[in-house]
Amino acid sequence: MPIHEKSLIRPENLETHDNLVIDGVDVSGHWSTFIKTRVVSDYNETLQEEISALPGGEEIHRCWQCGSCTNACTVNEVNPDFNPRYWIYLIRMGMESELLRDKDIIWQCVSCNKCTYACPRDVFPEGVMKATAHWLERKGHTPKSPSTHFDEVFTEQVLKTGKIEESRTMRRFFARTKQKLLQPWMIEMVKQMINGLPVGMLTRMGLATLIAPRTSDWSKASAAMQEYIDEQHEKQEQALSLAELVETAKNDVAA
Amino acid sequence: MTKPILILGGGPAGLAAAHSLATVGKKCVIVEKEDKLGGAPILSGYAKLVPTGEWAKDAIGGMVARVTDNAHVGIETGATVTSFDGNPGDFTAELSNGSKIEAEAAILCSGFTHFDSVNKPEWGFGTYEDVVTTTQVEQMISSGNGVRCPSDGRKPERVAILLCVGSRDRQIGREWCSKICCTVSSNLAMEIREELPDCHVYIYYMDIRTFGLYETKYYWRSQEEFKVKYIKARIAEVTSDGDKLIVKGEDTLVKRPITIPFDMVVHAIGMDPNVDNPTLAQTFGIDLEENGFVDVANRYGAMGETSRPGVFVAGAATGPETIDDSIAQGHGTAMAVLSSLKDFSKSA
Repeated sequence: MPIHEKSLIRPENLETHDNLVIDGVDVSGHWSTFIKTRVVSDYNETLQEEISALPGGEEIHRCWQCGSCTNACTVNEVNPDFNPRYWIYLIRMGMESELLRDKDIIWQCVSCNKCTYACPRDVFPEGVMKATAHWLERKGHTPKSPSTHFDEVFTEQVLKTGKIEESRTMRRFFARTKQKLLQPWMIEMVKQMINGLPVGMLTRMGLATLIAPRTSDWSKASAAMQEYIDEQHEKQEQALSLAELVETAKNDVAA
Repeated sequence: MTKPILILGGGPAGLAAAHSLATVGKKCVIVEKEDKLGGAPILSGYAKLVPTGEWAKDAIGGMVARVTDNAHVGIETGATVTSFDGNPGDFTAELSNGSKIEAEAAILCSGFTHFDSVNKPEWGFGTYEDVVTTTQVEQMISSGNGVRCPSDGRKPERVAILLCVGSRDRQIGREWCSKICCTVSSNLAMEIREELPDCHVYIYYMDIRTFGLYETKYYWRSQEEFKVKYIKARIAEVTSDGDKLIVKGEDTLVKRPITIPFDMVVHAIGMDPNVDNPTLAQTFGIDLEENGFVDVANRYGAMGETSRPGVFVAGAATGPETIDDSIAQGHGTAMAVLSSLKDFSKSA
């Protein structure tokens, strides 16, 4: 629902009673609807720093709330609840509980980058959306998305071999996202390949699957990449206080 | 011997006018109702001024020193003008201390009066000790004591600055924008963050008017370097839970009601017409504009003319004004006074 049409009162905060008498006054029924407390009661002071610690979110502090991103947004056109301007504001002000209400639609960004070009302050809203989706995953608010699984499979393979072997990437991606390997489109593709019988290509593919070739002398490059990735991850984990989060969760379980 | 120019008020505008007149050898007399010169920046104990960051006591203090020892400038402090009669070139002013001044013209540099926050009781000033005004925060900083909660002297961990207190508020008859409070507030927010890096500062606004070059230097710098948070909300009320101040309102950018605890709430108070303006208008026989500020009669053809020939006006007496613009008007109006007394172009 567009923000201007949103009610200040959420339906779940409305309460009516079939039979309620307070101090001798009958307050039953629709005409005596009660409104529960409906406030944001605190700000998470570090939320903006957390998002800006993740790739893409670095420039979020520049936003002046003009709304160009939301106006330009491809997804907003079909889903008025998808509102980058609104989320950027929630993050900047630290209204975490409000942000979490939309945790299941933030990932919908299609990365068309129309907002990136519309933004007069170089906030890079597309990056902010990506950073926010990652933030939700890292904090455990949403499960790992298929694209995160894909990124991981892809990166693991590059680090290990220095090459991408498509069929392995696919197999692992489908396994991790718990999808059937034999998708209808894949069966169709294989059928057509067999019909055309590209012997050379099939042989190369088969060999690559069996042998898993590596880039020669890859270990040094791989180690350097791994070191950089670890460094970045550690920084992000610190910014997001993930260690404390794990600790709290452990204590909660123990209690 | 020619008569002097009477300058009413020894604030930035009056000090500038006196300096300009004295520099060209024209005598003037500053009549100041308080017992010392300097106007609001000195009398109210401002800290660092916008836009230079110089301390008020140095910047405006320098202007005071400059005229104090000047042979062309007479100073009457602790005095008001009780009557002002005559015509351009030949006025007689009687002062409350009994003395009489023969003057060729007068410049009213009577400035403004800070809005009294008691007139917005819903925002807690006068009820809760830790609800203060921007002027009080200026004093905390300029005194060197630092920003502390008045109730118990503790360092605040969360400060809310409410903008437009006594400005743009038709409900209490103040429809004007006081022009400087946004910039002053972001300046103060940065000062607070500098002194107390662990203190979170929130500014509640309906529009931010850090006009002109202040946009980068105050609005953005306070956010990007000092992490001051700007929240678009008109605050409904400031109450207390016995421990903290509770600020209630609606965040209008996201349409959400908010109830947030704070240690200190600062009112960014606006500029009222000088409380003496009705008396001044009568004494000097000049018109006030609809809000009660001194009416400027000629906006384009001359500088600082009032409705009465020979009586001029400069600075915040005409409406909310910055310190540097008040000073510029003081200098400019001094020139206008001189040219009104003698049309030099004809004698050349």
